Amino acid sequence: MSMPKFLLRRTLQGIFVIWGVVTVLFVLRAVSPGDPATLMLGEGANQELIQQVRAEEGLNDPIFVQYADYITDLVTGDLGYSWRSNREVEAMVIERIPATLELSIAATIVAISIAVPMGVISATRREQLSDYGATLFSLLGISTPNFWLGLMLILVLGVWVGIFPTGRRAVGFGEALMTLVGTGSPGELLTWLEYIALPALTLGTYFTALITRLTRSGMIDELGKPYVKATQAKGLPLVLTRYKHVLRNTMIPIITVLGLQMGTLMGGAVITETVFNWPGLGQRFVDALGIRDWPLMQGIILFVAISFVVINIVVDALYTYLDPQVSVE
Amino acid sequence: MSEDILRVSDLSTRFFTNEGQVNAVESVDMTIERGEVFGIVGESGSGKSVTALSIMDLVESPGEITDGSIEYRNEDLADAIRDDHPHAVDGEFVDLLSVPETVHSGLRGTSFSMIFQDPESSLNPSLTVGEQIAEAVEVQRRASSRPRSGRARTQGVQYSLGSYIASTILPSKKFVTEESKTRAIELLELVGIPDPVKRADEYPHQYSGGMLQRAMIAQALAGEPDVLVADEPTTALDVTIQAQILDILADLQERTGMTIILITHNLGVIARMCDRVGVMYAGEIVERGTLEDVFVDHVHPYTEGLLGSVPDLEDVGGRLEPIEGNVPSLLAHEMGDGCYFADRCPRAMEECLHKPPDIEGEGSDEHVAKCYLAEHPYDESQALPEGYFEDRTMGEVTADETSSDETTEEMRGDD
Repeated sequence: MSMPKFLLRRTLQGIFVIWGVVTVLFVLRAVSPGDPATLMLGEGANQELIQQVRAEEGLNDPIFVQYADYITDLVTGDLGYSWRSNREVEAMVIERIPATLELSIAATIVAISIAVPMGVISATRREQLSDYGATLFSLLGISTPNFWLGLMLILVLGVWVGIFPTGRRAVGFGEALMTLVGTGSPGELLTWLEYIALPALTLGTYFTALITRLTRSGMIDELGKPYVKATQAKGLPLVLTRYKHVLRNTMIPIITVLGLQMGTLMGGAVITETVFNWPGLGQRFVDALGIRDWPLMQGIILFVAISFVVINIVVDALYTYLDPQVSVE
Repeated sequence: MSEDILRVSDLSTRFFTNEGQVNAVESVDMTIERGEVFGIVGESGSGKSVTALSIMDLVESPGEITDGSIEYRNEDLADAIRDDHPHAVDGEFVDLLSVPETVHSGLRGTSFSMIFQDPESSLNPSLTVGEQIAEAVEVQRRASSRPRSGRARTQGVQYSLGSYIASTILPSKKFVTEESKTRAIELLELVGIPDPVKRADEYPHQYSGGMLQRAMIAQALAGEPDVLVADEPTTALDVTIQAQILDILADLQERTGMTIILITHNLGVIARMCDRVGVMYAGEIVERGTLEDVFVDHVHPYTEGLLGSVPDLEDVGGRLEPIEGNVPSLLAHEMGDGCYFADRCPRAMEECLHKPPDIEGEGSDEHVAKCYLAEHPYDESQALPEGYFEDRTMGEVTADETSSDETTEEMRGDD
């Protein structure tokens, strides 16, 4: 199979997955208690108005008609209006994407740049102090709850030591970059970095711990393979055996995990965004959940689902380049 | 023949495992001449491979070379080492076990090279075959461009992590150069790979087993080594391919004049390839001599047993004579005081309960055997009663299950 054909097939599969997601969402909304019209208008609204809204929104139609309308709307790109703010859901989701995206990417960069070296050190100095240190760190990292870690970082580094400002996203990465290009001043970029440091560290800690463990065990596995001995027998410098041969092969499965985690981060930064008052999708989702703003929740979940599908396709395509034994067939 | 190139004496390699100390190689002596094919034969677990790995300095934790010397004749190396480590140098010979380990490991690729049993897993699956051979070429190229003396001469090829990181961005920093890749293609051609230009860009999984072993040979030859260690090079291959691989090895050896240490459990391979042979059993060399000494005039009952377990074409329908029992445990605390082969030996005598004398003589021409029968003929009146060892094990109720009375139908073929 050729690459375009592979991408086409995976895209069709992805559409099927997303159809599943939106259907589950529709069913959830249909069975959950509370009348949408009442939610839209507030508790004290009069009955006449409520009935009018029900008729307008098609809430009195049979459930299958409602479902058909809902799917038609989605296919035509109409995500509807937020029940509370009455703004377009599409705009409400899109405006929050940059904040979440930059936080996810920053957390991933933090994770990779700490985890991979630590995993390598751990695997190559097995049963030594640095290995025990790294193992202990990953155990702590995996078992520390995000909200607690976030609060502690704010307290210690934000308040007591005072080196990192927190509590908001002072400037977006895009704007900061534009300032740098436009005026040549890196000031805004540094401000961005200061503000994103603690949230990225918090969000990235679990991820760091996970990748450290994977790198360590993958590397130990790979180091035991016969080809490693063969590279040593031909006199290859140790650096090349370790990094060009062993680490490279270790990273192939880790890329998969990275991809999946990126998807999770896109939607899973809920706690971190709330703790740091980071204006991303996670925070918007928590707000929407609190007031049962279904269209908004649907919009966010739909976005996360699409991200997941797209990232997975990208990872699979990448795999064929990384591992010559895997082809798109 | 010609001069000696490698003198191994009293080599002991032990593994310190949770179950106890394993004496994988014990007091092995052998002298290898330049340009010969020296065979090491024995059952699985007899210490053949560990001996090879010890020579290559590839013994890994929990294993350790605990004793002995490996003297390698190399004039340049001896000159470079003499000032810093006078005790390690004897004429043109350098004892690789009494110099810093970097000196020994630095000889890999350029002085000593190795091919392994399983070609399919001995190449990295995610790099092209050409790239991997080019790496070996590059090691040789860089090693030969370093000064003939001084510290750099005594080290392996160096490449820093910084250079590697830089090489991911800057192609000029890459370890493998275009010249090396070209040479890799020549090497592939040399070992008889058709269409080497195209094949060099393929990955190991696109090769057949026999082709991979050829590629491994090309890789091992890239460094133009003095000594090639071939550890069961044909075991994982089809019989027809085995012959091809042996032909290639013999042909290349003739052309380059390199020395080959051929490790195998297959006596046919030994007979076809080797000038001299060492027979290993339980970590020791029990008999050593020329091909004729070992195949015709053998002394040790173990050698006789090995030969008896090979099918003979001229005696079709005749029964094979397997060696009764199994290779003993090599755990130090489970090994007896006497000859390790005594419990399987058809001609064990009372004196075999004491350790037979060490093989005397360093010379390479001698035919020696670690057996009392080398000193005097078999004395039936001294024979141990039948079932002596079974009674003993039952009486002592030891946990040693390896000396149970199972019968190996044939020599175990694979590791």
